[in-house]
Amino acid sequence: MAWGPDVYIYPFIFVALYFESFLLVTFLSKPARARRIKSTKLSTPNVAIIVPCWNEETTIAGTVESLLALEYPKEKLSLILINDGSTDATPSVIDRFAEHPQITTIHKENGGKFTAMNIGIEHAKDAELIGFLDAVAPDSLREVVAAFDEPGIAAITSSMSIHKPQTLFQRMQYAEYSLSITLRHVFASINGLYVAPGPFSFYRRTIFADIGMFKHAYLAEDMEMAMRIQRAGMSIGNAIRARVYTKGPSTFPKLLTQRIRWTTGFLRNILFDYRDLLGNKKNKVLGILVLPFAIYAVIAGISLFFYGIYQTITHGLHTVSMIQTVPLSYLFSWHPFTWFYLPITIPTLLGAALMLNVFIWMMLGKHLSKTPGKLALNVVIFIALYGIVAPVWLIRSVSDVALGTRTPWR
Amino acid sequence: MSIVARNALIALGITAVIAGTVMYTVSYLNRARITELSAIENQLSIDTLSLETQFSLLESAPCDSVASSTTLTSELADLGDRLAYTENQLGKNDTRVIQLKRQYSLLEIRDYLITKKLAAACGTKPVTVLYFYSNTGDCNDCDRAGYALSYLHNTYPALRVYSFDYNLDLGALKTFITVNKVQGDLPAFVVNGKHLYGFTSLEDLEKIFPKGALSTTTAPQ
Repeated sequence: MAWGPDVYIYPFIFVALYFESFLLVTFLSKPARARRIKSTKLSTPNVAIIVPCWNEETTIAGTVESLLALEYPKEKLSLILINDGSTDATPSVIDRFAEHPQITTIHKENGGKFTAMNIGIEHAKDAELIGFLDAVAPDSLREVVAAFDEPGIAAITSSMSIHKPQTLFQRMQYAEYSLSITLRHVFASINGLYVAPGPFSFYRRTIFADIGMFKHAYLAEDMEMAMRIQRAGMSIGNAIRARVYTKGPSTFPKLLTQRIRWTTGFLRNILFDYRDLLGNKKNKVLGILVLPFAIYAVIAGISLFFYGIYQTITHGLHTVSMIQTVPLSYLFSWHPFTWFYLPITIPTLLGAALMLNVFIWMMLGKHLSKTPGKLALNVVIFIALYGIVAPVWLIRSVSDVALGTRTPWR
Repeated sequence: MSIVARNALIALGITAVIAGTVMYTVSYLNRARITELSAIENQLSIDTLSLETQFSLLESAPCDSVASSTTLTSELADLGDRLAYTENQLGKNDTRVIQLKRQYSLLEIRDYLITKKLAAACGTKPVTVLYFYSNTGDCNDCDRAGYALSYLHNTYPALRVYSFDYNLDLGALKTFITVNKVQGDLPAFVVNGKHLYGFTSLEDLEKIFPKGALSTTTAPQ
């Protein structure tokens, strides 16, 4: 067998394959299966949903209306809208809801999302569960509340999806979010989550007294809080059927800014403040598998990108050289198909198996969460785009962390 | 054992099974390629021997075999393409590939000699190109030269192209190189006895071909 440059990608393929196999086995294991059974418990504790707003004049009214429309006893559900120093018409929009019996509106100087969230917690004294919404619309609260029945659960995440994807980048994110739904479900079943995403996550109110309030945390306050929960030995669960829709960045620059914030937030938190979680024997899933793999994924993404560039340049130069040698029509002429020339190699077969797996996980995520929308076209866009755009924010994030560059919110 | 540890072990097993299956499949396919190449070589060997035997029996060139000889050359070219692809898949140091290349080179030399005999006895004027390359990394232009010859063979089906790995350890090939006075400056071409060294463009190669000796399948560009 020829040991060419392909050998370089073998370790990455094998590790990815192992990770996917682990996901599959865990997905089929009892804890995950049990979580897919719909709960019949009908407890309705007091719930407060905090909505931090900064320049959300076009979306906030719709968000509030979708929250008020949630199927939950009205006397048990309160909304806290916090204007975090908006400079647009957000204050006047949220003031329209000020008289609503379920709603509290608060205006404050701009201090960052985490400060708005903390003020909200202070105003949610009667709530047993506190949720944070940074999205367009959630459509299930009962599923979230039911998921708290499990002992030791400090927080619950939901199934996020992209609301009416329009642009190529939103469609790519739709497929990506479908994959994340399954990953979150599987990792939650073995307490391997290290982020309770901002769009729609819930916490027991008591944990804020136990482990403290939200922090700046390199603009990744949701991730930092999740790591703090894990460090305290508590669990983070997932309500797979609790859907929430978020708009998702529509253009590449906006997506890049968001992902750099996420990735630098992850790297800075785990490498600077929560390094003890790596290799932590109290939570082996997180410490030995999930977190090391998350760091490895950053390295692999960048490495495979450079490998791809190397291959593209090599093949490009070869093609240019051939174009200079023989007519273009001959170079791209159709050759009779025989099995002999089938391009079946170890990387192509394993790569195809990995992609098939990813596609199945996406379908499962969409199916289990009953997320509306069409997946097939978005998967094609994901396959075509993700490998090119993701390395850009990975490289930039690693560079920012290494050089200590400040990351902007938007 | 915890569920996670159990799952981690099962996942390792699944990974090993998938990786093993993939490796076996690729290896099986490569073995099948080698078997096919070997079968083609055997068939060509019989065909060549048959032609040579006809020579001996008739004690002269059987001129009605010119067509058979042309077919043989064409099949040899197809075998060469397949061999090059297999070499690319398995690597130039694979012993099976080296063995197949030796047999292939012998077939080429024998076919070349038959072509020459037929030409002398039957008055045909075939255009033959002997092409010598190296794949040890010391010949930057060999890839391009190979492509150019493939294109020429595709354009002029009557053109007889014989490619040889200059560094192949084969006594007959070394003698062939000596007899044809080919230097080690690769790529090297011998077009109807005329020597050319280094990359030669399509236009320059076509200029050397005797005018009207080759018909085309498509208009040359």
